[in-house]
Amino acid sequence: MKQYIKKADIVLLILLIVVGVISTVFVMQSRSTGNTVIIESDGNLYGKYSLYEDREITVKSGNKRQNINVVIIDNNEVVVKESSCKNQVCVRHGAISRKGESIICLPNRLVVRIEGEGGGYDSITS
Amino acid sequence: MTASPRNHSNAQWVARIAIMASLALIFSYIEAIIPYNPGVPGIKLGIANAVTIIALYKFSARDALAVSVIRILLAGLLFNGLFGMLYSLAGALLSLICMIILKKTKAFSIIGVSMAGAVFHNLGQLLIAAALIGDIRIFFYFPVLLFSGIVAGIAIGIAATLMLRILK
Repeated sequence: MKQYIKKADIVLLILLIVVGVISTVFVMQSRSTGNTVIIESDGNLYGKYSLYEDREITVKSGNKRQNINVVIIDNNEVVVKESSCKNQVCVRHGAISRKGESIICLPNRLVVRIEGEGGGYDSITS
Repeated sequence: MTASPRNHSNAQWVARIAIMASLALIFSYIEAIIPYNPGVPGIKLGIANAVTIIALYKFSARDALAVSVIRILLAGLLFNGLFGMLYSLAGALLSLICMIILKKTKAFSIIGVSMAGAVFHNLGQLLIAAALIGDIRIFFYFPVLLFSGIVAGIAIGIAATLMLRILK
């Protein structure tokens, strides 16, 4: 009768969980509330927007401006509402609102991310 | 009598790889049609990897490599697209290298090998995504992908263990 779980498996599991916990703590710490929405398209900065002003941004990219993404800033949250890409991963992605979070549309080479510039008190005032 | 044994074994090999690759492709398809959305791209069970593990344990590393590359190319053409293919290839190669090394040590069971494979699969995908996007911040996904990899890897490892028991 062969042993189905070995000691090394348990060691590996514990090691992976430790790495997971450490990286979670690391990510959580670097994630304070953000206030600026940054959109990058085709590797270049497309625009900076305030997280607190509701608006709709249509980003056209690609060499023929054929790739279209509609980014919505609403109620201090950002979503990609529409995309011309095939996989629609960016559209199904949940809303982002915290510093460091991002929505990425690989086919259209679009990055929407949130940065916090100054002010660490938003979590108290909002 | 006249047929050379070398040809015979070659044909056997091609047939075996073809059967396993088609099985893996069906699993990829099943995975692709399951309608569920965890909010973070990349979280999935990876049922097709069970076939890779079985190929690795029942046959050889070469077989496992052939099965997973064929499966990814076909799945890429059929449902994942070019980007999906790139992603999967990076993940699968890193995962396979890791699984081959761990299997060689003989210290780990199939479940442990599968778990490490799943975690490195996700790591490979993150690396290629970071390279394509040119932004290291995508590693914010690392913790959630690590934990989902552990769970998926254990589940697939158990499934592969049970299947190999039957195949024996």
